[in-house]
Amino acid sequence: MRTLKGKKRSAEILIFILKILVAFIMFCPIIWVFSGSFKDLAEFTTSPGIIPKKPTLENFSYIFNNSNYFIYIKNTVLLMVLTTFGTLISSSLVAYPLARMNFWGKNVIFAIIVGTMMIPNIALIIPQYIMFGKMGWLDSLLPMIVPAFFAYPYNVFLFRQFFRSIPKELDEAATIDGCNKAGVFFNVLVPISKPVFVTIGMLSCVFWWNELTQPVFYINSDKWRTLTIALMTTFMYTSGNAFVINWPSIMAASTLMIIPPMVLYLFGSKFLVGGIKTSGLK
Amino acid sequence: MVPNKFNKKILKRNLTAYAFCLPWFIGFICFTLFPIIFMFAVSLTNRKLNGKSSFVGFSNYAAMFQSPTFWNSLKITIFFTVIMMAVTTVWAVIMAMLLNHKQKLNGIFQFFYFIPSVVPTISLAYAFRTIFGKDAGLLNYVISMISGKNTSINWMYDPHTVYLVIFFITLFTYNTGQMMLVFRSSLNDVPRELYEACDMDGAGALRKFTMVTIPMISPIILFNSVTGCISALNGSFALLYPLTGENGDPNGMTQVLSLLIYKEAFSNMKVGYASALSVILFLIACLFGIIIFAFSKKTVYYEN
Repeated sequence: MRTLKGKKRSAEILIFILKILVAFIMFCPIIWVFSGSFKDLAEFTTSPGIIPKKPTLENFSYIFNNSNYFIYIKNTVLLMVLTTFGTLISSSLVAYPLARMNFWGKNVIFAIIVGTMMIPNIALIIPQYIMFGKMGWLDSLLPMIVPAFFAYPYNVFLFRQFFRSIPKELDEAATIDGCNKAGVFFNVLVPISKPVFVTIGMLSCVFWWNELTQPVFYINSDKWRTLTIALMTTFMYTSGNAFVINWPSIMAASTLMIIPPMVLYLFGSKFLVGGIKTSGLK
Repeated sequence: MVPNKFNKKILKRNLTAYAFCLPWFIGFICFTLFPIIFMFAVSLTNRKLNGKSSFVGFSNYAAMFQSPTFWNSLKITIFFTVIMMAVTTVWAVIMAMLLNHKQKLNGIFQFFYFIPSVVPTISLAYAFRTIFGKDAGLLNYVISMISGKNTSINWMYDPHTVYLVIFFITLFTYNTGQMMLVFRSSLNDVPRELYEACDMDGAGALRKFTMVTIPMISPIILFNSVTGCISALNGSFALLYPLTGENGDPNGMTQVLSLLIYKEAFSNMKVGYASALSVILFLIACLFGIIIFAFSKKTVYYEN
């Protein structure tokens, strides 16, 4: 009996050690970025120890002094806020009849929405690029902001799943009270659905904060750069020493980009995790 | 006149529903359907980046099918997608099972396991470019410390190690974190009685895993794998472009179709040719989509 208990105990300890090991692997790149952002260029390129020998804040001041960093932040936040705002309104509106009403062609529309979820954005980016070029939208945030106001299939899908879980009796009660369909949506469904709005809003913010592909295709000039493109272009080379990659300042810029999603997770993990858990199912 | 009134009511309800769907309808026509048709049309021209174009028939496709770069890229795209799907799924299951084992501090562990998924891919790409770097890279440093010999392997640009490195990095993408969370909840839904029955039969942990856990979560594994394919097709650009560049170094070994599309359109300025490549990428995605759809009809339950 004793040995069985002892066996179980050592198994528990082994699993716990495994957990720590995996946590270490997963967090390693982030620690590396944090530590690199406090080293100077000479130390970064010669000694890869995790703890900086003489920590410096120079890299942070370098990126603020040598780039239009506040413009990049402004662009990224503008992009994030407007796309999120647009997709929350439009996607919830579209999801409502799909979840709560019977109408002709509903199944066809839903099938198309699920089908278009499968198309990778990158496959259509060339024709979209030409199209937005004809409209004069290139080199601005418009190619990313405007489509957000016309419902992303994935978000419609998430909203629909949530709306279906709300009891239909609520709609019926509101209809008897004299609400029309729009009234039911705004007065009944939206107030109860606050958690799903927060979840999809958070997922959207994280997506646009991190998005690289679309800005790379659509944005050229410095005044519309987002933080992700700035990371790729602006901080690449030290001014004095041509074609040397200034890694510590890239690490510093990365550190500044990594912190907001981490903070978001700390405060909103309930919404974020809950939302993602249901996204892959049903 | 009852039927007429009845019809009016139905008509009104339909029109209300369509009014709600209007944003999607406009978006679908303008930003999905039209680009698809337009993409096929442009792929039949020799359009340049500056907009000059004339009709050339199928010569873009003919050139494509004769180009070794294209075949290489197609091969790499499928290879990258399938392997990424496999390694991220396995890793996600491992992390989910560890987290579902009830112990203290699981909340903190989930933070560490999940956080790489929500940080920018480009930050991770740069972190790994330096970790696996030749000079002053963390990995070479650690190996030198352990072995006592001076190691300077150029992990990212060595044909022998590049895939090892790339697929290791895919463990840190959003897709892995998402799958981990989905697996966590589906692993919790496996009925306890099944495990208890195994205990009665005296089955070990490994047998329990292969006989109960895997079959019970298999629909989720398959569903996740196929959605993983789609995000691998889409997300590979944001991961590989900052890591290995548009040429997919070394020697095009990592040049997936999305990188080739970018290169042809912007560096070689051949937009017509890039459109033909996009058509192929679109068709690959459709193929995966059809697989998902056929599969989800069987195993994933949609009401109505």
